[in-house]
Amino acid sequence: MAALQLLVNGVALGAAYALVALGFVLVLNATSAVNFAQGDLVMAGGLLAVALAPLIPLPGIVLLPVVLVLMAVLGLLLALAAYLPLRRRPPVSVFISTIAVGIILQNGAAILFGPEPRAAPPLFGDDTLRIAGLAVPEQSLAIVAVAALLIGAQQWVFARTQLGRRLRATAQDPEMARACGVPVTAMILVTFAIGAACAGAAGLLLANRYFVTPTAGGDLILKAYIAVTVGGWGSVPGAVVGALLIALFEIGVSSVLSYPMALGALYLTLLAILVFRPQGLFGEAVRRRG
Amino acid sequence: MESVVLGTGALALLVYALAFASPYGLRVLTVAGVYALATFGFQIVFGLGGALSLAQGAFFGVGAYVTGILGSRYGLGFEATFPLSMLVPLLLALPVGLAVLRLESHYFALATLGIAQVLHLLAVNLPDLTGGSNGLAGVPPAVLFGWTVPRGLPMAGLVWGLVALGGLIGWRLARGRLGRSLTMLRDDALAAATLGLDVGRLRLAAFGISALFAGAAGALAVHTQRVVSPEVLEFPVMVSILTIAIVGGRGRMAGAVLGAVLLLHLPEWFRFLERGYLVVYGVALLATVVLAPDGLTGLLDRIAAHRIAVRLFGRKPRPLAAAKEPPLPPAHPSGLSVEGLRKSFGGVRAVDGVSLDLRPGIITGLIGPNGSGKSTVINLLSGLERPEAGRVLLGGQEVTGARADRLARAGLARSFQAAALPDEAGVLEAVAAARLAVDPDAATAEAHARWALDRLGVGGLAGRSCDGLPAALRRRVELARALVRRPAVLLLDEPAAGLTDGEKAELAAVLRDLAGEGMAVLLVEHDMGFLLPLAGRVLCLDRGRVIYDGPADGVRRNSAVAEAYLGPAGSA
Repeated sequence: MAALQLLVNGVALGAAYALVALGFVLVLNATSAVNFAQGDLVMAGGLLAVALAPLIPLPGIVLLPVVLVLMAVLGLLLALAAYLPLRRRPPVSVFISTIAVGIILQNGAAILFGPEPRAAPPLFGDDTLRIAGLAVPEQSLAIVAVAALLIGAQQWVFARTQLGRRLRATAQDPEMARACGVPVTAMILVTFAIGAACAGAAGLLLANRYFVTPTAGGDLILKAYIAVTVGGWGSVPGAVVGALLIALFEIGVSSVLSYPMALGALYLTLLAILVFRPQGLFGEAVRRRG
Repeated sequence: MESVVLGTGALALLVYALAFASPYGLRVLTVAGVYALATFGFQIVFGLGGALSLAQGAFFGVGAYVTGILGSRYGLGFEATFPLSMLVPLLLALPVGLAVLRLESHYFALATLGIAQVLHLLAVNLPDLTGGSNGLAGVPPAVLFGWTVPRGLPMAGLVWGLVALGGLIGWRLARGRLGRSLTMLRDDALAAATLGLDVGRLRLAAFGISALFAGAAGALAVHTQRVVSPEVLEFPVMVSILTIAIVGGRGRMAGAVLGAVLLLHLPEWFRFLERGYLVVYGVALLATVVLAPDGLTGLLDRIAAHRIAVRLFGRKPRPLAAAKEPPLPPAHPSGLSVEGLRKSFGGVRAVDGVSLDLRPGIITGLIGPNGSGKSTVINLLSGLERPEAGRVLLGGQEVTGARADRLARAGLARSFQAAALPDEAGVLEAVAAARLAVDPDAATAEAHARWALDRLGVGGLAGRSCDGLPAALRRRVELARALVRRPAVLLLDEPAAGLTDGEKAELAAVLRDLAGEGMAVLLVEHDMGFLLPLAGRVLCLDRGRVIYDGPADGVRRNSAVAEAYLGPAGSA
């Protein structure tokens, strides 16, 4: 029974992590660039929800579309300032420019909100349901449902629409896509917007149960990175599965030991994976592009 | 000129410190020195070596904790704590580096960030050792030869003395063999390996050196603050070092000093932001990466180059070293021999049971239609790909599956189809890079490089930049790069492509000369008019198999070769 309870908590956390990792891997595939600011975008989304809550005194689910749109705009700005000017330079330049954006977001948030942890409103309600002896917070169910809906919507857009075909073509081979008349630069901007919106949604989902502080981004980017490494660099389903595994690991180890121990164990596991299986547990989905 | 600028800068800092700085100003200056010292190490591992280590801040913190714990808990003095503060980060860096340095750059950044987070967690969660989140107070001041260094001017003097020493060491490393080897592998790791540079070992050395610098800086930081807390292990330290290095100028020691002095004073000028000074760092970092990727020192260089045609901080045009013939390594009487080489890519046999012998003094031609496996054979022989089966003997020694750098050091040299010269480097530098793995210092390597350029009749190029050389000259420089190593076995991938008939004749004469001296040469070529008169023996590949192996004059009459190129007789 205890194990089942942990599973419920782990899946809820994993659903939110999956959104973080999804946004990270979409940008990675479209640009071959590592977006180091992804964790700070999650934090920004969480604090945005905190700031919007008094203005829109409604449940979190109403805030969600507002957060998605504002974060997509932030993603566009990120791409314009830190990616497009550097696309012909070595990949490490983008890594550093997104680190810079992360620093600006994190410390800007610290100036605006102060260092103390904040909570965003719940999506629907704060009650806890009793289902077959399990305590299931409504918020956990809502997190899983909303994350599943958003990931499903992303999959549908990518698989079924003209926009999705263009986005996939850009991710697979930008030169070829350009030759076939796909507006590659616009597609990259859209991908950054989607990636930031995913991060923002994750921030809103996480910021109720787990609170949000301006420095939360560092751990989140590491977890997204680990999820993508575990799932196979560049694999979208792999990133989602990796995120679920990480959350279950974190919840499981925390329950036996403590959260810092779980975090330490997670990072050490990451090092072990990098040393022994750098292609990830399920194999690398994309090779390095020249 | 360079020394004049550095001297003026040092004098200005000295005058400021002695005459104008308040006690608080001196403290800021001291901390700037501490960060400059930490950044020297980062310039070597990241600026020169291209490995984005996010553990530099963590090594700084470890150095700080070693001094803090040993000084406040065990009462050890500066003479013990300072070396240990450098040693412990080094001991931490070596096993970590061994494990992850061969990975791609972004994985390395992630792994080092993971280590930094683990160390921070340990510092917070081991209160018995580290004082937990409160840290440890009562760290003693530095004591030099029995003299307790007080705060203020003496401490600033100690720190900046060490900055001068560290900067000099870093500068010498950067200009010497290590720095040039690191730049070479940052720009093109594959080419560096085929020139005999051990990529993993060089990066490990750079990572270790970066840890030494960071540890020393951390120790000095704690002697300045007199307390140590988990703050020294937090990300802002790393952010500061990264920003200083990029804003100052990647890979430049002068940039580290300039960046540190500037950025540590920035928060003083942006007081209204209070603790938000890191926003300013973020903006400075972003602006520099986008607008001035060479940083402030690069910018100053360019301004100076426009105005007075002298580079301030960069390499001045130096007098060229006199040409000197590199010593011949002991000859390999048996050359290179290969038996049953096999390699598949995704189920397709690219090379299938190839055997060949490269004998000293003989030019062997390797021909075959496009896609027949010629380039894969060269890649297998030079260690860029590992064979699945087969045996390779170089100079009588078994070298099957050896890495490219080991094969290169054992006497093998190769050229690439698209000449792989670094665009930013000068011709002499690019050729000298091929000697870095063997020569004792960079000056000797350059003297040897001049010999190779002279030998190939392009001595006049020594002062030019690789960027913008015409194709024929690029190929000649690339050949000089192979020749300068006095290889026993030389593998050339289409060296005549794009050359005029006159240039081909010159190249043929050079190759004949080299073979005459006892070199074993393998020539991959499409141009039969060039190859056949030159080669003593020719192999023809088709779909990964050898279909002809014999004298050059038999190739044209061989029906299997004709079929491979033209399709079966009658079908065309």
